[in-house]
Amino acid sequence: MSAELLTVGQSVPPIYGIEKATGALRFPADINLPNMLWMKILRSPHAHARIVDVDATAAEKMPGVAAVITHKDVPHVLFGPYQNEIYPLDEEIRFVGDTVAAVAAKDWNVAEEAIRVIRVTYEVLPAVHDPESGVRQDAPAAVLHYPESHEIKPGDIRPDQLGTLGNVIGLKEGGPTVVNQRGDVKQGFAESDVVVERVFRQSEVNAVSHEPRACVAVYENDTCTLWCSVQDPYRLQDSTARVLGLPMEAVRVVSTNLGGAFGVKVTGRFAVLCALLARKTGRPVKIWFTREEESLDSHNRSALTHYVKAGAKKDGSLMALNVRTFLDNGYWPYGGLGQNIAFAICTRPIDLYHRCPNVKWEVFAVRTNRPSTGPYRGRADAESHFPIESVMDELAYAIQMDPIDFRLKNRLHEGDDLCSAPNKIMSTVWLEEATRAGAEKIGWQRRSEFPAETQGARKKGMGMAMVIHSCGSNPAGISEAEVTIDAAGRISLFSGTADQGSEQQTTLRQMVAEVLGVALDDVGGCNADTSTCPFDSGPFSSRTVYATGIAASRAAEEVKKRLLEHAANSLNEVVAALDIGKKTVWVRANPSKRIDLGQLARLAGGSISGKGIHNAKEDRLFAYGFAAAFAEVEVDVETGEVKILRLVSSHDVGRAINPMIVEGQILGGAAQGLGYALTEGFYFDQRTGTALNQWFLDLRTPSILDIPDIEPVMVELGEPTHPFGAKGCSEISYVGVAPAVANAIYNATGARVTELPMTPDVILKALHDAQRSGA
Amino acid sequence: MEPEESHKIALKINGHVHTVEIDSNWTLNDVLRNRLDLTGTKRACDYGGCGSCTVLMDGVDVYSCSILAVEAQEKEITTIEGLGNSESLHPLQKSFALSYAAQCGWCTPGMILSAKALLDRNPNPTEAEVRMALSGVLCRCTGYTSIIQAVLEAGRVMRGER
Repeated sequence: MSAELLTVGQSVPPIYGIEKATGALRFPADINLPNMLWMKILRSPHAHARIVDVDATAAEKMPGVAAVITHKDVPHVLFGPYQNEIYPLDEEIRFVGDTVAAVAAKDWNVAEEAIRVIRVTYEVLPAVHDPESGVRQDAPAAVLHYPESHEIKPGDIRPDQLGTLGNVIGLKEGGPTVVNQRGDVKQGFAESDVVVERVFRQSEVNAVSHEPRACVAVYENDTCTLWCSVQDPYRLQDSTARVLGLPMEAVRVVSTNLGGAFGVKVTGRFAVLCALLARKTGRPVKIWFTREEESLDSHNRSALTHYVKAGAKKDGSLMALNVRTFLDNGYWPYGGLGQNIAFAICTRPIDLYHRCPNVKWEVFAVRTNRPSTGPYRGRADAESHFPIESVMDELAYAIQMDPIDFRLKNRLHEGDDLCSAPNKIMSTVWLEEATRAGAEKIGWQRRSEFPAETQGARKKGMGMAMVIHSCGSNPAGISEAEVTIDAAGRISLFSGTADQGSEQQTTLRQMVAEVLGVALDDVGGCNADTSTCPFDSGPFSSRTVYATGIAASRAAEEVKKRLLEHAANSLNEVVAALDIGKKTVWVRANPSKRIDLGQLARLAGGSISGKGIHNAKEDRLFAYGFAAAFAEVEVDVETGEVKILRLVSSHDVGRAINPMIVEGQILGGAAQGLGYALTEGFYFDQRTGTALNQWFLDLRTPSILDIPDIEPVMVELGEPTHPFGAKGCSEISYVGVAPAVANAIYNATGARVTELPMTPDVILKALHDAQRSGA
Repeated sequence: MEPEESHKIALKINGHVHTVEIDSNWTLNDVLRNRLDLTGTKRACDYGGCGSCTVLMDGVDVYSCSILAVEAQEKEITTIEGLGNSESLHPLQKSFALSYAAQCGWCTPGMILSAKALLDRNPNPTEAEVRMALSGVLCRCTGYTSIIQAVLEAGRVMRGER
């Protein structure tokens, strides 16, 4: 198959590369329009409060101010990124940084001055600052007023169980948000030869997309256009239409290119308020977040605590796993983006270790007076793999088995049923292949030599972690794509997905070019503009190359079929006698008898188009991505510093449509994962809920001096549910890094690090604990 | 004497002189992006922490968010738009574009200008020198390897080895 492919499998340069390197590419923040106003948001200084009174008179009178809106001025309409559960502005304020009011003024300076003179009287309410205390009987309520109704959107999971009892999201009758249970864990532990118990704590982290969110809104003739930094333009279209009271088709959202998103750039108040101000003033309005706003008004990876108990037999059989997880869900009344994360946390690792017969995993997703938490790169699996892969490692050491062999003995296989995707059957699992390839790359057997090499305070070690993550078949996702041939013979792909840096349009066009037998340069098109592109759930769950790729390939196949039918008519031949390629259709037996695509489009009335759709609900076979991360480290036991000597990130990618892009995604994800492992944390004052390090450098993302040359490995053994065998892999490399580094530190020092990030003080404490328990 | 609130200043950017009337507290970044529509220069942090607003001032890579527009008078400012365009790419722009060293593209203009300042003063840098020179610009997407390779590749082209 591969020998005959034209562009699939080739590392062609990304289509937006030159525009990015010349600065010509316009992101939403780069749009400047004549007569444009600047918007600023007044944000709450309190974690939980009720607005008693708001007086905006002084702001309204300030020269240069065009409009002010408060909760008294906005439509009483629910909207949201997940379900419709928040108002554009609310009387109840639920976190420090929550949106109180908004101003539009002639420039950002005036807007900033204007928000400072808005006088707000707050009734300060008791607040919930961490999930574990939030579940207690005597805890205050993080949310006082629930919208009387909330609408679950079609396609979302678990719609029926939402209640408002206590601070735990979910079950109306109380208890955890989700429980994943099978077998009998008590029995499983009784049958185990070794049992380990650990508590893991992970700090909240921010995605730190470098582009602070922006929105430019234009309202004229009862239509509204938004250029906005969102990954879900169709949801923003829906939200804006309901808030403005317009039909969907009167709202256009454009989010073609984003300066990094990583899952967190979804529909929010800033965008619908921008639209409301554009309507109120009749002028274009622009908002562009400061870094502080980008940190606070985002969706962070939740802070987590996991209580883990796991047991195994000496022969390497994993017997029982019992976990209780507390997840900070932030301010959402009905759970927002967090409830599905809770479900995935307690199901995916159990699918990975499918052979484990006894499981009980409870997740408490807790309402708190904190910024939202949500789907950041490696969603749910970065949350769960650190504890699970640490405990698997510990069990392997306890039964004196190679950690790789122990994991592989208990792993998922093709054809297994899935608790993370009920009623689905597992498609390909190239997990063992990816793990062995990674082990070979790093030289896993060299671990035994390390004690001899160790000198003084610097201890060398090697560790690994195995990973499952979405590769695009998110059960809630729907992707459509359209391919058209116009009268000039131009081929265009219309796709609803934003390019947030993964250059998916390049990859999608490669697939279309391949189906039609044309060069990549022959395929143009546009993406993420709701006025011209068909629906797509958006680039989440690593789904674009997989799900949108299936839709785009189907659209191209449909167009190909129509082209051949038209050609058969006009050439007086049967379809089977024709060949297509190089923008022409010809008769196989007589290649001089031919017709080009433009002619065919003209014969068909000006254009020929085809649509393709992928709806994961319809598939019985379910695809997942698999990976293994390997770290070689040097730990200074006197200072607690860790040096990453090598990092290997090995992946079941199905098939790399564009190896350069796949490799880039693997490296980028692993580098972010290293930040999660060693330096990044987003912290809040435990009494006031105020963010402590919302500024750029204080979030401590890795610099060019912190990241070693990461070594990617791609295992390409295909995936039958995708026309070219591809699996999405833009997130999965993030997931395994933290546990692999933790396991390498254990291998080097004998100390289990159970806290993220693994800063020197955390490592020193782990070393101290290990010494004490060993003595 | 009361300080003046607004100024009429002349800035020399990419070889052209622009006269603009601005408030005292406008940064060079504000003028480039919001007055002259040179939006290739980005901003990610507001205070000289990220490097995505990097421009060249008299050949030195500086953070345009941390320089008041009034301070930039009588200097030669180069932005990404002045380095090259799609018709005539600078070797750095070409190597970044072709090798996927620009993923989301937000840090890319700052990276390229910082790299240009390096290659102008040190045409044949080692990998360690590239890392040190670019350490004032952060990237969230690439893991940096492709950026380092793109700078080394552009260096080879500029030295005539390619």
